[in-house]
Amino acid sequence: MTELDLGQDTYPIPGPQNTNLADILERVLDKGIVIAGDIKIDLLDIELLTIRLRLFVASVDTAKKAGIDWWETDPALSSRAARNSLQDENRELRERIDALESKTDQMSDDR
Amino acid sequence: MTERGLEQDAGGSALYVFAVCNAPDPAVFARLPGVAAGVPLRRLRFGELTAIVQTVRAADFTDEVLQIRMSDRDELERYARAHHDVVSAAAWSCPTVPLPLATLYHGEERARQALLEETGRFVAALRRTAGHSEWGVKVYAAESRVPEPSPEPPSGTQAVRSRPAPGAGLAYLERKRGVQAQRERRHEDALQLAETVDAAFQNLAAAGRRLRLHAPERGGKGHVQVLNATYLVADRRATEFEALARRLRDATGARIDMSGPWVPYSFVGEV
Repeated sequence: MTELDLGQDTYPIPGPQNTNLADILERVLDKGIVIAGDIKIDLLDIELLTIRLRLFVASVDTAKKAGIDWWETDPALSSRAARNSLQDENRELRERIDALESKTDQMSDDR
Repeated sequence: MTERGLEQDAGGSALYVFAVCNAPDPAVFARLPGVAAGVPLRRLRFGELTAIVQTVRAADFTDEVLQIRMSDRDELERYARAHHDVVSAAAWSCPTVPLPLATLYHGEERARQALLEETGRFVAALRRTAGHSEWGVKVYAAESRVPEPSPEPPSGTQAVRSRPAPGAGLAYLERKRGVQAQRERRHEDALQLAETVDAAFQNLAAAGRRLRLHAPERGGKGHVQVLNATYLVADRRATEFEALARRLRDATGARIDMSGPWVPYSFVGEV
């Protein structure tokens, strides 16, 4: 038996065939015995992600057909979108702080 | 993310743990790719038990990289199925306790030590699920046939907008109220259906859990999921379980989808 042969198994994969992704996800993501690993994955983030993903997976085909692509801009589904939205928020907050600071400067100057 | 060769990354490897079993036959997973193609899956003994592990590049499993990978549907699907295939293959040869996605250690010694510490939980879970499989059950309420109320009666009032038929507003409200009442009745029927089916399956199962309901399909034909449950069923009762599903389908007229047998993912943790 060659180890590098990635072709389909000679042994049948047991368990239900044609299982849909949502069924697998709701089992492999947060079921099973959870033990502490060395490499920490932020489970809170993953949990949030999976809640969205379940909705996502359940409706992705129909949604695609309807041309709906909300997940591409949903922060919980796209880390790029998440980073962008964080950056945007950051920038807005900085601008507001600047505005507030210049206002208080003006007020103290006026006195 | 830059592609780096394996040898360059020798220091940056991690050990991915898929599952824990009694004595798995290595032949059943020898040809599976696992989560890192090209690296063979292997067994890691700890005490009386054996884990199924694979060496992976640590850089592929950092928090940030994982979040990105799991945001990509195709990548997520490949990854989840690869994990699931290894777990299922192991369970084919012996009782198996699956671990969730992404249980990783810095090396073999660390993994062995951590697994040894959890031996009590593994043994308890193996004992609890031996000779059992998990079966998923999804119940959908019958297709809804209640029409939305049309804002105006169908007869040609459009043409004479200035003079609506007398009592048209009242009639509209009555229709709307009727639809609302029907909707509430349907909701209660759906809850009742879910309870009936769940109770019947619970009766036959060793344990049962309700999972989160899946969202209805967008623009779908109104197949509303009313129950998404999963049950731990003794293997010798599997045919009874399927027969029960048939009886419930006949008795309720509801669509009841079954999936299984699964490795008892939902029943190995402390419930």
